[in-house]
Amino acid sequence: MAKTETNGLSIVGTTPVRLDGVEKVRGLSPYSINTKVQGMLHAKVLRSRLPHAKLLRVDASRAEKLPGVAAVVTRDDVIGRKDLDPYYGVALLDQSIVAIDKVRFVGDIVAGVAAADAEIAEEALDLIDVEYEALPAAMDAREAAALDAPLIHEAFRMPKRSYGDLAAMNSIPDSNVPYHFKLRRGDVDQGFQESDEIFEDDYFCPTTQHMAMEPHVCIAQWDHNGKLTLWDGTQNPFTVRSVMANLFHIPVTKIRIIVPHLGSGYGSKTYPKLEPILALLARKTDGRAVRLELTREEVFYTVTKNGAWVNIRTGVKNGVLHARKVNIHWDIGAYCDISPRVVKNGGYVSAGPYKIPHIYVDSYCVYTNKPPGGAFRGFGVPKVAWAFESQMDDIAQALGVDPLEIRMKNVVGEGTIFATGSRLHSVGFKPVLAKTAEAIGWGKPSEPAPPGKARGKGLACIIKSTLTPSTSSAFVKVNEDGTVSLLSSTIEMGQGADTLLSQILAEEMGIPLATVSRAQPDTDVTPYDLTTSSSRSTFHMGRAVRLAAIDARNQILDLAAEMLEVSPEDLTLSEGRISVRGNLDRGLALEEFVQGYFKTKGGNILGRGVIKTEGGKLDAETGQAEITTAFWFVGACGAEVEVDTETGDVRVLDFVSVVDCGKAIHPELCLGQISGAAAQGIGQTFYEELRFDNGQPTNPNLLDYSLPSFMETPDRFTSHYIENPHQEGPFGAKGVGESSIGATAPAIANAIFHAVGVRPKVLPMTSESILALIHEQQEQE
Amino acid sequence: MIMSGRSLTLSVNGKTHEITVPDHKLLLDALREDLRLVATKETCSLGACGACTVLLDGEPIASCITLARYAEGREVTTLEGIEKNGDLHPLQKSFLAHNAFQCAFCTPGMIMMACGLLKDNPKPSEAEVREYMAGNICRCTTYHEIIRAIQDVHNFA
Repeated sequence: MAKTETNGLSIVGTTPVRLDGVEKVRGLSPYSINTKVQGMLHAKVLRSRLPHAKLLRVDASRAEKLPGVAAVVTRDDVIGRKDLDPYYGVALLDQSIVAIDKVRFVGDIVAGVAAADAEIAEEALDLIDVEYEALPAAMDAREAAALDAPLIHEAFRMPKRSYGDLAAMNSIPDSNVPYHFKLRRGDVDQGFQESDEIFEDDYFCPTTQHMAMEPHVCIAQWDHNGKLTLWDGTQNPFTVRSVMANLFHIPVTKIRIIVPHLGSGYGSKTYPKLEPILALLARKTDGRAVRLELTREEVFYTVTKNGAWVNIRTGVKNGVLHARKVNIHWDIGAYCDISPRVVKNGGYVSAGPYKIPHIYVDSYCVYTNKPPGGAFRGFGVPKVAWAFESQMDDIAQALGVDPLEIRMKNVVGEGTIFATGSRLHSVGFKPVLAKTAEAIGWGKPSEPAPPGKARGKGLACIIKSTLTPSTSSAFVKVNEDGTVSLLSSTIEMGQGADTLLSQILAEEMGIPLATVSRAQPDTDVTPYDLTTSSSRSTFHMGRAVRLAAIDARNQILDLAAEMLEVSPEDLTLSEGRISVRGNLDRGLALEEFVQGYFKTKGGNILGRGVIKTEGGKLDAETGQAEITTAFWFVGACGAEVEVDTETGDVRVLDFVSVVDCGKAIHPELCLGQISGAAAQGIGQTFYEELRFDNGQPTNPNLLDYSLPSFMETPDRFTSHYIENPHQEGPFGAKGVGESSIGATAPAIANAIFHAVGVRPKVLPMTSESILALIHEQQEQE
Repeated sequence: MIMSGRSLTLSVNGKTHEITVPDHKLLLDALREDLRLVATKETCSLGACGACTVLLDGEPIASCITLARYAEGREVTTLEGIEKNGDLHPLQKSFLAHNAFQCAFCTPGMIMMACGLLKDNPKPSEAEVREYMAGNICRCTTYHEIIRAIQDVHNFA
């Protein structure tokens, strides 16, 4: 009895004011940075200043004696304990609560202190004596993958249970490669033999940082029954909960995680970050809460976006892509975090959204002595798309074909078998590309450029998967005054989840949006959700909320039918009122129904919705699977640039991003996600890189690490979507938060290529690097 | 140790507050910790991102690199101080109407900086908005929505 997908919608597809809007413009959103717990202590952590070193001695005895210090944690607190595992991790157990034998990057945690205030804690850090023996460091992922490179981890510890999609992880023993993803489809050697022309190129993307405006903040407290509570700015509290349960050997019911609104995340607040050391510190404070807020510099040491080297070889036969071999070295830093999944998903989408019969991918997850990489908006796609979409225009140029035309000719569509062997559904590439071309004025020449400058246009597209398998669940509580509470664990981090999940609930139940209120995510209260990442919430939690709404509505109509002595089929629930069909005077307001049914002042009708998705487990040797992902992201970008041939400066005159969103639940929020992802892509294109000198980060602050500002945002900048409904998505909707970020850099690079004929292969594209390419080209001429 | 410091009189949002803080206390921390005015946010701690912007005698400043003592004898205005009689300020209304935020962590700083702009230039061009606001970072990158929100403010006072 679900509502039909497109007919008669009154709330889905409209643009109500964000439910969290007023508190947000008043600066009063409940961020974790604002959370306080009575009597809380403040923590600071001691970090390694060497990129790779043996720990010879860690002595915190002087720090422990400093007045005001409540607890100190060093390796002595984690070794040889029966009540504690020192190691944790979601893909591999490679991270320890504090460094044990070695430190592996500048910023690795060596000790922690909890004290009456942050200044005392900081002072205590200076009193911890640490003796290191420096080891050679491995800073380049390609060199670090060699068998004679300095070994960063002496062993690979697999967790007892892993995620469904990471259950089969090939590693290379005694190396810095904990995971080697392989995709084998067709016969790539034969494919190259049959090709008319072969293109081979190397592309590079650097390590960058998410730079969420709010730093990581967490408060931990143990009560006297041994229960741990975390007030935690995390994107996936249930994942953190299970990691903490394993660390401390306690059931998940002994851990409660309450999540305020996030000053955003972009992936940086997925999986455990501060929680292990903070919880251990708190366990030594006799019940007092301990708070840890990272400094901006520490945020750079906590998680990054992986750098990547991509070698891509593509064979073309009769004007179509025929064979592709990709070799990727992902620089994952010193610990895996969730990078193996980036390596896997980024590996198989390096085929691009194209029909290529022969594909061979080796995607290597490589430890280096850098801060750990992890999830970042785009999840591997921007690195490989930088390579395959740049090369696509080189191929078009060599064949004398229009870049739009070559994409239209090769692009996948409904029912195409993808590189992983899975059949594609809801992949509107052709309309997305057509819209991109129209919006950027493809085929129309640019206005003449001023002297010394040249203009050009470019476009690019990407395909991306979502985390699969996964699960989401939701409860709906219908209250005695006719209001409805939504219990779901999706984290509000700016994307507008509060609003659009409430829209889905109100639409499906037939109640006014204003009567819906979403509970704060709290693992003791709101039901399980795997994570708020992978742009999965609209599709997954949206479905769970919808099922819960249907369940609640059906119960209400069944019970009301008895009260009104009609059959349930004769009743409708609309705008919060139960009515008899054809006799609108007969009926009950929701409030009257609840009170009339329970015959007391209160009571709840409870609806529940649980969804799970299947698939995602790719064959370890071939990367093939019947189902790769619950849905596919489809996005394209178009750019028009003006290149100053004397300075190498590039100005983006016009930028468009277009996404297949399935169905826009809230069109303005949908467009906000599309443009936000594209604009972050512009940062990655021109400005962002975390740089290192001998293992030392040289720009871990916002004066030296450049972000796009008002000045760097393109003059014209528009976003569009097409609605190509997904059969399982709520009202046809799917995720949009990452569809445009991967296509941004290659679209701009292709525009530069068409303006001045040079091919950038290294990100970020600085003016200096573009000028050097122009000079190189002039010398060759 | 926590209580060490000297007495300081701060005038914030039209109210006078007596606090005891060390000389090195930053205005941002005095506002957030001592006065519990938490709308103002900290991101970069270097005066490089604008999240901590407040008005000092009507002019926007970075409170994360300003000593609290420097504000003595001056009038500090934070986001909490621009609402009138429980009504949202015209800039707040316009940000809301234009969805000019996502996570909104930067929003208080954006609005306070925009107050500084509109005070001197009630009808700024897009280029003027961009240039004036250039020091304020929005990592969710709602810049175009913010430009529209600032240009579309009605009855700015």
